[in-house]
Amino acid sequence: MHLTLQKVPVRLSLALLLGACALLAAAQTPPPAAAASAATSPSGTRANFAPNDPPGEWHSQARDYANTRYSPLDQVTAGNVAKLRVAWTFSDGTQNGHEAAPLVFDNTMVLVTPFPNLAYALDLTKAGAPIKWSYSPNPTPVAIGKACCDTVNRGGAYANGKIIYNVLDMHTVAVDAKTGKEVWRTKMGDVTSGETMTMAPFVVRNKVYVGNSGGELGVRGWFAALDVDTGKELWRAYSSGTDEDVKIGADFKPFYPWMVGKDLGRTSWPSGMDRTSGGAVWGWISYDPETNLIYYGTSNPSPRVPAQRPGYNLWTSAMFARDATTGMAKWAYQFTPHDQWDYDGVNENVLMDINFQGKPRKVLVHFDRNAFAYTIDRTTGEVLIATPFAYQNWSTGIDLKTGMPGVVPEMQPKPGIKLSNVCPPDIGGKDWQPSAFSPRTGLVYAGIFNLCMDVTDHLQSYIRGAPYDGMEMTRHPAPGGNWGEFMAWDPVAGKKMWAIKEHFMTMSGVLATAGDVVFYGTADGWFRSVDAKSGTVLWSYKLGSGVIGQPMTYLGPDKRQYVAVYSGIGGVAMLSSSMPGFPPRGSTLYVFSINGDSPHSAAGMLTTEAGGTAVQSGPTIGGKR
Amino acid sequence: MKHVSTSRAASWLLASAALALLAACQRFEGGRTVAAQPSIGEDAIAAVPLGDVAGAVSTLGSSIANPYGSDPQAVQQGEQLFVKMNCAGCHGYGAKGGIGPDLTDKYWRYGGVPVAIYKSIYEGRPQGMPAWNPALPPQDIWKLVAYIGSLGGTYTPDQYQASIQGDHVGDNVAAEVRPTLAGAGAASAPAARTESAAQPNAEARPDVAGTPPNTKP
Repeated sequence: MHLTLQKVPVRLSLALLLGACALLAAAQTPPPAAAASAATSPSGTRANFAPNDPPGEWHSQARDYANTRYSPLDQVTAGNVAKLRVAWTFSDGTQNGHEAAPLVFDNTMVLVTPFPNLAYALDLTKAGAPIKWSYSPNPTPVAIGKACCDTVNRGGAYANGKIIYNVLDMHTVAVDAKTGKEVWRTKMGDVTSGETMTMAPFVVRNKVYVGNSGGELGVRGWFAALDVDTGKELWRAYSSGTDEDVKIGADFKPFYPWMVGKDLGRTSWPSGMDRTSGGAVWGWISYDPETNLIYYGTSNPSPRVPAQRPGYNLWTSAMFARDATTGMAKWAYQFTPHDQWDYDGVNENVLMDINFQGKPRKVLVHFDRNAFAYTIDRTTGEVLIATPFAYQNWSTGIDLKTGMPGVVPEMQPKPGIKLSNVCPPDIGGKDWQPSAFSPRTGLVYAGIFNLCMDVTDHLQSYIRGAPYDGMEMTRHPAPGGNWGEFMAWDPVAGKKMWAIKEHFMTMSGVLATAGDVVFYGTADGWFRSVDAKSGTVLWSYKLGSGVIGQPMTYLGPDKRQYVAVYSGIGGVAMLSSSMPGFPPRGSTLYVFSINGDSPHSAAGMLTTEAGGTAVQSGPTIGGKR
Repeated sequence: MKHVSTSRAASWLLASAALALLAACQRFEGGRTVAAQPSIGEDAIAAVPLGDVAGAVSTLGSSIANPYGSDPQAVQQGEQLFVKMNCAGCHGYGAKGGIGPDLTDKYWRYGGVPVAIYKSIYEGRPQGMPAWNPALPPQDIWKLVAYIGSLGGTYTPDQYQASIQGDHVGDNVAAEVRPTLAGAGAASAPAARTESAAQPNAEARPDVAGTPPNTKP
């Protein structure tokens, strides 16, 4: 076995594990909802749920700064989850991958769609949740052909009375949350160069943080802060180039010495290639209010053909911790130096506090596309644990002394030579689909892949606005034959606790709740609820299309708990579209409640009163293409 | 009416000019690297409309063939260009689609005859397809067209009307409809309406002739 470089003392982790198991076995009385967020797991692992939004609301894609996707709502439990039924649905009419979670505030739900990136506000106080307002940013169709992996959007953020989201054609927009009127619109780049925007903006106080997509088209990645109220850009940090461009200064202290040096974002590249470097910032952002540090990852280097770019290719397939105010880098860590397989480092960083080897540590947990799960000290960038969570054969393991992965020489692609069974493939052991953390179990839950690829590299020349890519691939399942898996991960032990094999890809986000049930969906359209402790599937419901959205939960005006998820297959799940049983596209939000009840549909309470009309646009807005 | 007949006349003039040009440049030797530069006039190509045009029925799409035809060497060079110029990055290795559409099926948003594909490459298309003029010289674009043509999803020049009417080889044809999969003559759609449905298809091509139309006399 070449997967055992983990440096956690075996005896200690076993003791922790046994202790955890004993506590898990003991019956727990669920605490009241208000106290739920203060709950700590048997292992003592806990999270800071700032900004502590109202328990029944959902203001950002991850719900909190720490990126837990944990809701303190506990009406839906293992005891009653099997009674979940559809309360109402909404189809937005757009036909591409639906990767966003709805936002809920003030009895209003806001949805952001794939291209053409419409926004809909639904009035939750009225029967059938009618449209309160709708908004179209009218993006250029040029963007359709520049988005590598479907014209997706990963949702908006609600802040300071505005809905803020990114438009595929390189604009960030803010819309008045009450009226749907555009408040500001900022051009962040030139879509004809191959840049697009698909990620969800992340708001901390008066700043909104955004980044670009386009690592397959030779864009130069960046991360920027805008003023929430005006949209004015405050600063921008590139993922390559000089220290000045990368916003690296005297405060920059990476934990590992090989990332120390002047202008590494330029000198770790062949001359000039740092201008078309990739390192896009299309994933998730998290924030630690105690240290004022903001965390995010960067995408693959461009072109994807490694033979063309000798060097570590900093700062691609890496992550940064930056001062949230100034943008200056505090530390960085490159997960996959000289990334040869398209293992972007953009996946979510879930912030939590753990007891590790007898000491409290402030950490972040990151499931990288390279199939290793990292538990990293988030104040210093020291890798505490790095163990594989999915099948892989590219690496002999991560050396915790140096932070460097050992690379299996036979798994390194060479131009013109077909390499078989490289695992994981380009989309990784897990892609952008975010995990969730429950403080009640101390576990992190994630949909992951069980895939490999056959790959042939082709030398590329840079052509502006065209792919700068060069990977010819076919993907197929790794041993076991299943494409997907849903797992619970212990970030202290660096160990998988249990897993559910899925025939189709598991590419949805995860929702964890204080009711000790977690939710996820599959590419063939099953939406499931699982016991957070045992991993027993408690409920499954077949939706109209595949699920790559992020489930969320909220309290209606009736104080009833609802669970919502988009059904609309797309994104890179389309690489499995030739599987028999793969569903067609869709655009429907499903909202569930116990027995499907709502004030307007429970027995004897039916009303057909239409709630008002869309104030801004005609009924065909969703048909734009 | 006057307007229509004027433009129809103009179409014929342009078509004749294009045919003459075509004849002039089809003098390459098949099988060898083509020495003669394909030189179909830019004006002739530019005159080919994008899809259906109200009013006059255009035959221009039928009148311009790929000067390389299905020359195997041009196909091979086209395939090399397809990878080298990053086409495969969007349309996939094997052209089965990705960011951009599948080029092996019969679905052509901007036309599936050689000149239509040439124009899509040359001009670019609104949903992200870059314009390859002037990055690629016309002969390279025609080689790409030859490669795409070798994948089986395209229409021949004389199937121009078929391509914009969505006809496939082997389609049944309702009695009242004259099959447009037939040759260029069928392009005069308005005339087809006045003809007897019972009349055999004068322009039926060999590939449909073997499959008798499922029509009653």
